[in-house]
Order: sequence, then C-alpha cells, then structure tokens
Amino acid sequence: MRHALGRAQSLLALTGIILLAILISPSASDGSRIFLQPGNLTDILRQISLIGIISLAMTFVILTGGIDLSVGSILALSTTLTAMALTRAGSSASYTGQIARAIAFAVAAAALAGAANGAVVATVRIQPFVVTLASMIGVRGLAKWLSHNENIDIGFGRDVAAQFASVFREKAIVIGAYACAAAVFWVLLARTVFGRHVRAIGDNETAAEYAGLPIRRTKVWVYSLSGLLAGVAGVLYTAENHQGNPNAGVAYELDAIAAVVIGGTRLSGGKGSISGTIVGTLIMGVLTNMLRLNNVDSNVEMMIKAVIIVLAVAVQRADS
Amino acid sequence: MNILEASAVTKHFGGVAALRNASFSLRPGEVHALIGENGAGKSTLAKIIAGSVRPDSASIAIDGRPAAIRSPQDAQRLGIGIIYQELDLFRHLTVGENMVIGNLHFRESGWVDFRRMETFCRPFLDQVGLSGNVRRLAGSLSIARMQLLAIARALSMNARIILMDEPTSSLFDDAAERLFGLIRELKGRGVSIVYVSHKMDEIFRICDRATVLRDGETIATVEIGATTPDEIICLMVGRNLTGRGAPSAAYPGTSDPGDPLLAVDHLHTSKLKDVSFQLRRGEVLGVAGLVGSGRSELGAALFGLDRIRSGAIRLRGSPLQPASPRHAMRSGIGLVPEDRRLEGLMMNMSVLENGTLAALPRMQSLGFLRAGQERRELAAASRQLALECASLQAPVATLSGGNQQKVLLARWLLLDPDVLFLDDPTRGIDVGAKQDIYRIIDELARAGKGIMLVSSELPELLRCCGRILVLCGGSLAAVYDAKEATQEKIMASAANLASAPEGAG
Repeated sequence: MRHALGRAQSLLALTGIILLAILISPSASDGSRIFLQPGNLTDILRQISLIGIISLAMTFVILTGGIDLSVGSILALSTTLTAMALTRAGSSASYTGQIARAIAFAVAAAALAGAANGAVVATVRIQPFVVTLASMIGVRGLAKWLSHNENIDIGFGRDVAAQFASVFREKAIVIGAYACAAAVFWVLLARTVFGRHVRAIGDNETAAEYAGLPIRRTKVWVYSLSGLLAGVAGVLYTAENHQGNPNAGVAYELDAIAAVVIGGTRLSGGKGSISGTIVGTLIMGVLTNMLRLNNVDSNVEMMIKAVIIVLAVAVQRADS
Repeated sequence: MNILEASAVTKHFGGVAALRNASFSLRPGEVHALIGENGAGKSTLAKIIAGSVRPDSASIAIDGRPAAIRSPQDAQRLGIGIIYQELDLFRHLTVGENMVIGNLHFRESGWVDFRRMETFCRPFLDQVGLSGNVRRLAGSLSIARMQLLAIARALSMNARIILMDEPTSSLFDDAAERLFGLIRELKGRGVSIVYVSHKMDEIFRICDRATVLRDGETIATVEIGATTPDEIICLMVGRNLTGRGAPSAAYPGTSDPGDPLLAVDHLHTSKLKDVSFQLRRGEVLGVAGLVGSGRSELGAALFGLDRIRSGAIRLRGSPLQPASPRHAMRSGIGLVPEDRRLEGLMMNMSVLENGTLAALPRMQSLGFLRAGQERRELAAASRQLALECASLQAPVATLSGGNQQKVLLARWLLLDPDVLFLDDPTRGIDVGAKQDIYRIIDELARAGKGIMLVSSELPELLRCCGRILVLCGGSLAAVYDAKEATQEKIMASAANLASAPEGAG
C-alpha cells in the first residue's frame, strides 16, 4: 500500500514534469511543440539509456543496503577494452564474430570487476562505500594504464570497429538494450527467488542470516550484475562516441544513484523497485531535455536538478 | 519523610502492560532493592523514575513535592541519576568528556578546556576510586571501571538518588565487591540507592529493603532484616500462579521416551560451560534461566551462530558441527529468535514474503517463484496457526505482536525442521496468541519433532514441557522432570541458591 503510494507519487512527479515540458516547449516553424516531436522524445530515451541501464543494477545494490561507486570507472574499462579489441582484431573471423567476441570480452571483464567488489563486500565485510570507492580509483587506473592514457579512436571506414559503431549507435539498438535490461531486471526483482533474497537482505540482514539465506552469494551476484551492466553501458558508449575513452563515465555513479533515489528506493535498503528507478531516470531525462530546449544554462540546470532530487526524496519520506 | 514516592505508575508497550498501577517509595540514605522475574517491570520502573521512559500515567513526588519527570534532564535537576545495565557511555570520548557532556552542573564555555574539565571531574572520580588521566578514552576502561565512571558522572550531577540497573551483571567477583563497598560509602553520605537485581545473595548483603514486582504490579515491600530469600522468591513467582495455565495433560513423552534426536555433550562456547543434555523425538524440553544465564546462547550454539569451542552435538545419531544458520537449517535445526523485530522479520515485506522466506528453494522452478504454491502453502500454515491478518499481502509491520510471532512460526512450519528451538516465543504477546502457540508446540511434539522452549514465564514451562533445563551463568544448574518441578525450585536453581542441584549433567 505504502509502496504503491510511493510509486504513484514519483509517477505523478513525472507526469507533472512532462506537462511542464510540453507547456514551456519552444515551437518549431510549423507551430508544433519541439518537445513532443518523435525525434525529440526518442532522443530523450537514448540520452537516458546509459545511466538507465546502470541504475537498474544499482537499484539491486542499494536494495541490499549497499552502494556501488565504481560503475563509472567500470564503464571506462569496458569502453577501453571494447575499442582495443575491435581496433586490434585480426581479419580472420567474420565481422559479426569479432564484434561478438569484443563485446563479450569487455562485458565479462566488467562483470569480473563487479564480482571482485562483491567478494570483498561479502567476505571481508568492509562497507560497500569504501570497497567501491577503492575500485572506482583502481579500475579507472587500470583503464588508463591499458590505454596508455589515450583515447582509442574508431574510424568511419569499413573495418570491424567502424561497422560495430555504426550499428550500436543506432537509437533503436540503444533504447532496445535499455528496454530489454529493464524488463529482465524487473522480472529478476519481482518474480525470482534471487530478487526476494535481495530485498530481504536489505530489509534486515540479521533476520536474513537467521532465515538461512545465502547472503554472501547474493551480494556477490548483485555487485557482479552492477559491473555487468556498467560494462554493457560501456559498449554502447564506445559506439556512440566512436572511441574507447579511459576518462569516460566520470560521475555516472552519482547520476545513477540519483535516479534510483528519486525513484523511491531507500538508501538504507530493503525498499524500492525497478519501475521506480525507471520513473526516476525518466524524470531526470525529461528535465534535462526541457531545460536544454529552453536554452537554460547548464550550470543552472545542475542547480535545478539538485532541488528536484531533494524534493523527490522529501515527498516520499513525508509519505511513509 | 520519603525522598521519593511513586504511585499509580502504568506503562504499556504496544498494548502489552509493563507496569500496572505500580508503586514504590524510597527513604533517604537507604539501599532499596527492586526485584522481580524477567519482565516483571523493574527496569521499566527505574527508567520511568530516571526520565528515560515516559509512563502512560504516574504520580511521582520528590521530597514530598509532586514532580514532573519528562526527560533525563528533569531527573538530573531533581537529583536523580541512573546507571544503566548496558552503561550508556560514549566509548570514543574521554573520561572527562563523558562526565561533563549533558551535565547541567558543568558550565560550558564553548571551548574544550581540559584543565577546567579535570578540576571539575577529579573530586568525583576520587570518590569512586577511579584514578588515572581524565583524557583517556572511556572505551579503553574495563567494564568495572566504566561502571565506576558512570557512578562518578551521576555524583557529579549532584544525584541524591542513584538507580542501578543490574549493576553486577557483567562484573567479576572482586569488582562486584568494590562496588558494594562504594554503595555502602554512598549510603553513609546520605545518598539513596535503588538496586535493580534478581541476585538474591547480593540483595541480602547490601540492601535495607526490597520491593517485589510481579507482572507489572507491586506485590510487597519488605525489610531485608525480617525476611528470607525463600520468602522473596515466593513473592516473586506468586503462589496462585499455577492456575494460570494449568499443566494440562502431563506430557506423554516423559513416560514414553522416543529415539534420542539431539544429544549435546559437554558443550563449551564463549558463553556456555560444559552443557550436556539429550532431546528425544516428541519431547518438549524447557530451558529456564535468568537473562544472561546462557539460555539464548544455547540456541545460538545449536543454530551455528556461536562458535563451538569443545564438546559434541549429535543430531539423529550423526555428529553435527553447525557452521552457520544456513548449515544448521539444512541439517534440520530451526530457531525462532528472541527478538522478532531485530532478528526475525523483514518489516518492509509482506506476511507472505516473510512466511515463505526460508522455504523458497522448494517453491520455485529455475529460480522463478511459484506464486500459487507460495500462497497455498502459507495459507495452510496460517490456518494451522490461527494467524489473523487483513491479507497475506499486508505488510508484516501492521500486525500485532502475537500475529507477527505466528508469521515467524509459519516460516519454520513450512520448513519442518526436526529440532525447533523457540527462544521466548510468547514474550510480549496477548493471551489468545499464547494459547495458539502452546497448541502448536503440542502438535509439533505429537508429530515427533523435538522442541526446545526458552521462557521467562515458569508456569509456561511447567505447562508445555516434559523436562526443564535450568541454566545459570552459562552452566547447567539443574534438570527437572516437569512433574516434580515447582516454580520455587526452578527459581532457586536459576538464582544459584544453596539448594543442591538435582540430576544436573
């Protein structure tokens, strides 16, 4: 009941922002509102996709009472590895095979970095904040070291890397990836034993231990998934920007955490939902788009976002 | 004239009465014991006088004048200090800071002035015999010295009345001796002391009078010089209590012992010393003891929460070394913890989610939950338990204490362990729910399970159990057959009175 109310409230906030965006949207030459043009709406979805994907697994992490600060750095590692694998690929195999191998390689490495986070959190029992802060620094270092501190550019020719970029920067592919990931993670949280365990552990870890739940294993999986999705976001980033960039993804973890929190997930764990996080991500995306369409200074944009974050959480707090 | 006069003190915690119209009076310069069984309300009464718990209603007079004690600050102004059992010190602050923080008698200047702090603290530290630097961290002191610090703090607040809540529960003998000396000294200076305890020997050594509480009511106030420990025990347990839950049909398991299900042999953990016993199929084995006697720790050892230092556990004849609750659970041992909110339930989750949590492995296919099976099985269990809730989707937080406890029991009914350790399952729940829980215990025993039942209520143990283990200080003090056991005998063993333990080990 309370849960449903909280969700209704963030939905209400989203509706309000969309209405406001429509209302103040500048008009195109034909008199239609630019905000409502299909191109603009899909742009919004594309723009939120990377943070959106990362915030799905971040929701799981936060539900267990943890936090993952390393996702931005893991994204950087993934984009670096993707670009390296593609630009150095031999010509033996088919393009499809090479691309698939490069993606699998980068995503696996990202998931492994996440698993390392999870293993330390679960077994050494250091606070997740500290563990992922450390790997945020360390993994960023790894990405820079591997790339010798340089961007790995992908051209526009007919080679494997260029082919990869032209396909994976398609709006449909990017938005589709987000939609698929969202569906999978929604099912995972709402319909599986794993999801139930995630919520139970965050709600009351002592009670979870007394109920014999596999706490360590669940945590390792949760952080692995967080790494994995940051890796997927990294692959998409590579295509979108035509380069592997070891400096990519700075402060992405904060945007992802903001989306989760605006979506009504409690930072102390146990309470929250994937649908809430999606709504939270949309709120941020529509807000950014609205402000940019109206040529609001990007610094002012940050200040407005700050207010929105606090407001969103205050409203949900007052509700419960 | 009495320095403190409290009457008509009533306090409920979530619908359960902790104090009912209790009264208490204190003379200047006396040491007055507040005594009663676990849950009798003695700590609550002390906390109400010290302003840390607000009563539902109470009339309190200090020096004959009505006093409104709404906060610890109010109590401090009236000259009342309290030493909590769990010692409310800031372990990461220094000795001096602990004494001046929140102290209305120390004028804060806004700057930390160690010299002024030392000048202020020293006389009180000397009084309790605590030497050493005031700049030491409180956390670096031994428990005994922390307690002296807490007393010095109370003195520095000009306390004329000092309440001590089970002060010797974590002290060794010599430290307790020193505390008694200090109490006598304080008394000589006219300080009145309220001594909350259930240790009979201490009370008879240092107290002048004792007020006995039972079920939240004041039963009597007696002069220690004119009474005996046995008389006080009788007042504590109450003669008429046997009628409350008449020991219905004496448990059949005692006359017809089943197979040995669980055998514990010379078990040692950090809290238990050389505990041995056997649990048979179909037996309800009671575990009695005061708080801190090791009764919860026995469950912790069996359930893989405490490391076993030595000794052996055999379950169904094969050795078992429970490494974790998960391991114990898979071996067939269940535990319903003492504190259902902290250790049992997920308060943000629904009745259904809480109830099926441990049994999910058999309610899924390929990791996907089988919602229909979950609902069916929990609905069946909740019927068996007479669980009352608006719907199975209702948040467990909206249920009454008794129904919350039933959700926890449902979790274990669905898992169906051979041995179930129930740690004070009826604490703070209403009479109807208690009866339901007794019925379930009987049913489980009849189905051949082995039940261990910890309880603070002796009539409950006498009603439900075939045999009763009595623990004291981590050791097995006695084992009674329910037929020959009486509340007096059990209390005497639990309080480690002279009467020889029978059949121990």
